[in-house]
Amino acid sequence: MFQECFKSSWKDHKAVHKKAEKRDSDRYNPWPKYFFTGALRPFPVSPKREVPESIPRTDYADHPKGVPISEQKVRGSAYIKPLDDEEVEGMRVACRLGREVLEEAAAAVSVGTTTDHIDRIVHEACIERECYPSPLNYYQFPKSCCTSVNEVICHGIPDARPLQSGDICNVDVTVYHRGFHGDLNETYLVGEVSAEARDLVTVTWQCLQKAIDIVRPGEKYREIGNVVQKHASERGYSVVRSYCGHGIHRLFHCSPNVPHYARNKAAGVMRPGHCFTIEPMISQETGVDVLTKREGTTLPRFLDSSS
Amino acid sequence: MQEGAMSDEEDFVPDLVPAQYAPIPVLIITGCLGAGKTTLLNYILTEQHHKRIAVILNEFGEGSAMEKSLSIGEEGNMYEEWLELRNGCLCCSVKDNGVKAIENLMQKRGRFDYILLETTGLADPGPVASIFWLDKELGSDVYLDGIVTVVDAKNIVKTLDEATEEAMSEEPAEQSTLGTPARQVALADLLILNKTDLVTPAELDEIRSRLVAINGAAALLPTSRCRVDLDKILDLHAYEKVDFKRQSLGTVTLERPGSVRRRDLESFVHGLLWEKTVADRRGRPVHMLRMKGMASVVGEERRLILQAVGEICDTELASRWEPDEPRVTRLIFIGRHLDESRLDEAFRSTVPVVSEHQADAV
Repeated sequence: MFQECFKSSWKDHKAVHKKAEKRDSDRYNPWPKYFFTGALRPFPVSPKREVPESIPRTDYADHPKGVPISEQKVRGSAYIKPLDDEEVEGMRVACRLGREVLEEAAAAVSVGTTTDHIDRIVHEACIERECYPSPLNYYQFPKSCCTSVNEVICHGIPDARPLQSGDICNVDVTVYHRGFHGDLNETYLVGEVSAEARDLVTVTWQCLQKAIDIVRPGEKYREIGNVVQKHASERGYSVVRSYCGHGIHRLFHCSPNVPHYARNKAAGVMRPGHCFTIEPMISQETGVDVLTKREGTTLPRFLDSSS
Repeated sequence: MQEGAMSDEEDFVPDLVPAQYAPIPVLIITGCLGAGKTTLLNYILTEQHHKRIAVILNEFGEGSAMEKSLSIGEEGNMYEEWLELRNGCLCCSVKDNGVKAIENLMQKRGRFDYILLETTGLADPGPVASIFWLDKELGSDVYLDGIVTVVDAKNIVKTLDEATEEAMSEEPAEQSTLGTPARQVALADLLILNKTDLVTPAELDEIRSRLVAINGAAALLPTSRCRVDLDKILDLHAYEKVDFKRQSLGTVTLERPGSVRRRDLESFVHGLLWEKTVADRRGRPVHMLRMKGMASVVGEERRLILQAVGEICDTELASRWEPDEPRVTRLIFIGRHLDESRLDEAFRSTVPVVSEHQADAV
């Protein structure tokens, strides 16, 4: 019965594909074979921006494959380094500068602005503050920040697409200053945004606040996911499982691993001096996320409805 | 050219195929150089077992190679495939690249019935095991079935002695770690004792007692030329159930009748694994390699299963207790610097036995 139904509908199915292929054939598309999960399409990416020699760089900044050797060395270790007072101060400074950079980016978000323009603002704001933009060349990531629009979960690459009224756009900034990484992101509403998208962004922010509320010495890292998932699912959303929060200090990404989904096996208990990120990604869809590869990049970009 | 191919495709209406969702077991095969791992793998691959088995050689999650070779055995035939490993950072993605590569390959080339992963003779299987012991929430296409360690009966005693000496000489005694051969034995869910035809019965007894002293919880399968019954080594489900049939010697077992609170038990385990709250008489903190357990939890009709490898641990509710079955909590520890009385003391003080009417705060 299913077979018959499937076979009788095949012609219509193909016709829709053909129409879509024809419509898309004359526009810029670096991945002609790729099945897009939503309406968003890639736009051209501008050449890599340079950082003046005078600004101290990360170890991956000049690595041909963008590999962070220092992170690779402690790969697989569950040891969470407690920072001393001086290191905590270093983190505070980096994070404060990161916030200033993010505020500049936020001020630029508006209808018609391209994400590439936001990237330029972030890049220049970093340089003004004697910071290296941490994403740049991290595993060959081509830009200085991540801009993830609508169904892009995270790690979106800034490009020539102008923001449209109704978009939600996450800007994820990390700055490297005097040996420490400060990592922060926010999702912005562009023009007139639907009530649904507003709600998604609000609930995601609430998930983050609820997760922060339980942070104290003695709490298990695995509890964060329980708190985030409880709130998201109560509001009818699902938690993206493929990406987690992470330890951060002299290294961009390190232990602990902080999953945002419930019933995870993350190791470790929070202790004074630990430094880590919580960055819940919440989705309207329950589906599996999809990986997209940008030419010349190995850092993936995922597509799904998220914030 | 391509357009022609397209129009051919259009006329062809494909059949619907039933979807398969059961995840595929991954078995880690470890053992010293020359123990017989390759013999075992060749035997499994070429044996007629009506299973499509993939064998992945060498180390996972190490090195910077972008591709790894993979042998697939099907109905006694073997062919090669390549796994494409993407570079990726550790923390912004929860699945190891190797796991993703296997999932991608299965999507492209169809599913396997079983995946065997052979580590190098020098490798500690712990980190590899933790890569495959994925959270169920991730909905992976693979799951960790267990670790099989192949042991060369002729050489194992000498190998263990030498490795211990080496470990002792390299590091100060206080921090001495278990040598790799002993780690491989310690982490095994099944020990294949190979080349038994090359030793005398008396030697075999000594070997057995040495192995049991390191790991009293693993099943032991004596064989020669790795000709083993495949049913005994495949589908171990070692990370889903706990088998208490074998009693331990060197492995420490704690047992207490009655029920405990889940919260207390988890705090005890997390303290032990992450905070190193228990030490032996000489003050050396417990270095846990593997831990298994089964607990009776107050207010819960099902038994709680506990599993740990390295620092990763999990608890899960399993089968129901029989109505007249005595409630008990048992834990097995495999590792270094295990002092039974110290462990028991810590266990008793942090995990009190509680009666059913105290079940309010489970």
